[in-house]
Amino acid sequence: MNPQYKKGVLELCVLSLLKRRDYYGYELSEYLANHIRIAVGTVYPILRKLKNDGLLTTYLEEESGGPPRKYYSLTSSGHKQFEKDRADYLTFARTVEELLEDGHHDEK
Amino acid sequence: MTKNEFLSTLAAELKRRTIADTDEIVSEYEQHFTFKMADGYSEEEIVAKLGDPVLIAAQFEPAASDPDKLRTEWMVRGAFVLVAIPVALFFLMLIVTAVTLMAFALAFGALAVILLAGINIYSLIPPMPYWNGAVFGIAAAALAVLLALGCVYYAAFIRQLGRAYGRLRHNLIASVSGAAPLPYLAIHPQFAGRTNRRLRLAALLSFVLCAISLLMGIIVAVLSTGTIEFWHAWNWFAMVMAR
Repeated sequence: MNPQYKKGVLELCVLSLLKRRDYYGYELSEYLANHIRIAVGTVYPILRKLKNDGLLTTYLEEESGGPPRKYYSLTSSGHKQFEKDRADYLTFARTVEELLEDGHHDEK
Repeated sequence: MTKNEFLSTLAAELKRRTIADTDEIVSEYEQHFTFKMADGYSEEEIVAKLGDPVLIAAQFEPAASDPDKLRTEWMVRGAFVLVAIPVALFFLMLIVTAVTLMAFALAFGALAVILLAGINIYSLIPPMPYWNGAVFGIAAAALAVLLALGCVYYAAFIRQLGRAYGRLRHNLIASVSGAAPLPYLAIHPQFAGRTNRRLRLAALLSFVLCAISLLMGIIVAVLSTGTIEFWHAWNWFAMVMAR
């Protein structure tokens, strides 16, 4: 898959996960790498970009028996951006799906 | 590759790309190793899953230095806002010139009608024999056509110049914002080949007709009055001389 394209979708996935609850970086990268075929290391740059764009904030939380974990949390503009990108993506995906389905039927 | 090799390569690459908060980024990957190793993975396994540190560092590069681009774009836009008034005045001047040209065309048209119809409202036109005046009327009509054609061409020129300026502005902004530039436009009017030939022919004909009939009018006047200074024979400046 086109890396640029994948990156945009990954951003959307990160926002979607963080809408449910706050995650720490490791959790997010593991979750995404287990579901989508990407190198684990590529999730952190995405988190950083989203944070620089003001869509995410971070906070540290002490855990028993381990280093403090850096949690990521959606900001209000992150929520807005997610709703917008989600709607855009779903419309886009539906259109693509319809197109691909049509093409498939024609061949039969 | 070991954990330390991975982290030092990553740190070196991030520094080389002058990316902010290098230590913070590296510590996040360090934490990743800590979590993974607690789950029983080896350093090599973790590195293999993380990916190439050189490629990872490249992904921390901000997307094509967006803030800089945006600033330059707004500077260019601002420059165009600053020159907007002089440019608008320049175009206004051109338009006023076109209107003046049109007024001249209309005036000569009116003169042609008066001379050819033989009506002299309030004796605005100096007295002269009708047939002589009619020849001058043809010259005036031809001149009116020539001026009207000039006006059409000039108006097309102003319009094209405006479009070319708009295109220049668009392309300058596009060149700093990274948008696709459009082809530049010529500043002279773009008539279709046929229209262009017709306009040129009409202009040439009206010019020749104007010159010939003016010359003929003068010759007829000189011959009929028997003097080069035919205007004296017709008492054109009688009122002025009486003073």
